[in-house]
Amino acid sequence: MNKNLPDWLNPEPWLGLAFSTADIERAINADSPNEKTLAALLSPQAADYLEPMARRAQAITRRHFGRTISLYTPLYLSNFCNGGCLYCGLAADRRAQRAVLDETQLHRELEAIKKMHFEELVLLTGERMPEADVPYLEKSISIAAEYMANVTIEVFPMSEPEYRTLADAGCTGVTLYQETYNPVVYEHMHRWGDKRDFGNRLDAPDRALRGGMRSVGIGALLGLADPVFDMLCVYRHAKYLLKNYWQAGVSISFPRIRPQMGGFQADFPVDEKMLAQYIFAMRIVLPEIPLVLSTREPRRMRDGLAGVGISKMSIASKTTVGGYSADAEESTEQFEISDERKIPEFCDMLRAKGLEPVFKNWDATYREPAHYEKS
Amino acid sequence: MLNIGDQKLGSRLFLGTGKFSSTRAMIDAVKASGTELVTVALRRFNREQAEDDLYGPLSELKNVRLMPNTSGAMNAKEAIRAALLGRELSKSPFVKLEIHPNPHHLLPDPIETYEAAIELVKQEFLVLPYIPADPVLAKRLEDIGCAAVMPLGAAIGTGKGLSTAEMIRIIIRDANVPVVVDAGLRSPSEAACALEMGCDAVLVNSAIAAAENPAAMGAAFKTGVEAGRMAYNAGLMPTSEVAVASSPLTRFLSTSD
Repeated sequence: MNKNLPDWLNPEPWLGLAFSTADIERAINADSPNEKTLAALLSPQAADYLEPMARRAQAITRRHFGRTISLYTPLYLSNFCNGGCLYCGLAADRRAQRAVLDETQLHRELEAIKKMHFEELVLLTGERMPEADVPYLEKSISIAAEYMANVTIEVFPMSEPEYRTLADAGCTGVTLYQETYNPVVYEHMHRWGDKRDFGNRLDAPDRALRGGMRSVGIGALLGLADPVFDMLCVYRHAKYLLKNYWQAGVSISFPRIRPQMGGFQADFPVDEKMLAQYIFAMRIVLPEIPLVLSTREPRRMRDGLAGVGISKMSIASKTTVGGYSADAEESTEQFEISDERKIPEFCDMLRAKGLEPVFKNWDATYREPAHYEKS
Repeated sequence: MLNIGDQKLGSRLFLGTGKFSSTRAMIDAVKASGTELVTVALRRFNREQAEDDLYGPLSELKNVRLMPNTSGAMNAKEAIRAALLGRELSKSPFVKLEIHPNPHHLLPDPIETYEAAIELVKQEFLVLPYIPADPVLAKRLEDIGCAAVMPLGAAIGTGKGLSTAEMIRIIIRDANVPVVVDAGLRSPSEAACALEMGCDAVLVNSAIAAAENPAAMGAAFKTGVEAGRMAYNAGLMPTSEVAVASSPLTRFLSTSD
């Protein structure tokens, strides 16, 4: 493995092991799950145990999160990007229609989202660009915080002081996927731009937390590299963050490249059964961590996974800039969403499964930046 | 009758209101449980969207008083702010003071809790702090004027029961304020056990919300709590390390040759 992958993150000892039937059954019911448990549950041999894994995942999810699903929606502020990501429809060499929301448009978008009952919002941009840099984000966050109980971001990596600026403006969390934890594949996928710096991205959640964010979301874009390797790294990354920032919230998402997206063909396609297996496995080894599923996934998958490992979901997502009020310029979407249901239909599905959709599970009272410094 | 400060409660079962599959299921469970005190998180107050709001439907219930909680607070400052907002919204004198800096296991921070309690007592709240099962902390909180103490039986949502029973026994023995076991209980028998030990009440959420039939489980907890209190009042027989022989071993001392 490339030397850029730090030792604490390297899961190689757990790769390629053969697990017996007894190993997998023991892992599913482990009282004190650990990395070996996860390796067993991610292994191809465990694919025959999806049903018992799902039952265990559901029981754990119910115990820790009850019969509720937290809901949020993303808001794309800008799709300007100088990145060279092979897999992204908004890479700089794509013939995409670019747009950025001005203040008036942002207010309109937020009003439209508020009417949909949302209280939790993720603001997104591409890589760092003059059109959407930190001062723009700071302003956008402070505006969004007037409407929403909870505002988080999914944008480019920043410095600790920059994160602090955004935390002071009312931002409570950062989502930043490493895309892949395999440095060799990472370098191949990111052809140019700031994003080529693997270490800068890897360390960004630390900087975000030190900068006053209360939570970070991590994950790997499944399909870019060996998914078992990436899932083991996500686990190690989560454990590292939990141990070093014990007051911080850590969540894990499971974005998956689908073959039809932007023409990019995944070298390591993750099918639906594999995705379900990985989610169940992660729930069993990390019982208390919110696991998130987006509208990239088809409705059948989302319906099946709600409350079975997954505790938080996006809905009614628009991945175009200005998509909610349909008032801004037409722009190209980052990826095609698969679950296009409107909120009432989606909530009806949750309720039919005995799950309560929760729109507000935070309050502006708690928006003050966090402080993790040891005295 | 249970007295907490100047408030009188007919039921010794307090309920949490999160984690239910629907507001309807929550209300049904509250009614079935016979509780007169329910706690609701400020972060679930949503006056703008009735469908998503827990406060509105609860405030409609007769004989049920609300206890806003400070769930979500990482420190004393945030908890105090949440308590003040909760009081403004609910007009309730109660506050369930909970400060859990780790959002995953939700275990209470004793230092921040103590700091916040001092201020909230000054502000004339009836403060019920959620605390580790620490007998010294419990007395400290009583000394500064908390209306009750609420040690955990086990971590929130774990269903591990009265894992802290030995410490809770000491808290009960030393306390001059009501002792309420909060968090960790899984079954009505565990609630009965807590009341038999001398706890004044229990606070339950997950065990009811995550049950197959929450309303039926609420009713079962009602019975369990009542049975436990009756047993406590009736006086349990002493335990013994050895069998008590029906023919005493010392009979020879009272017989002549």
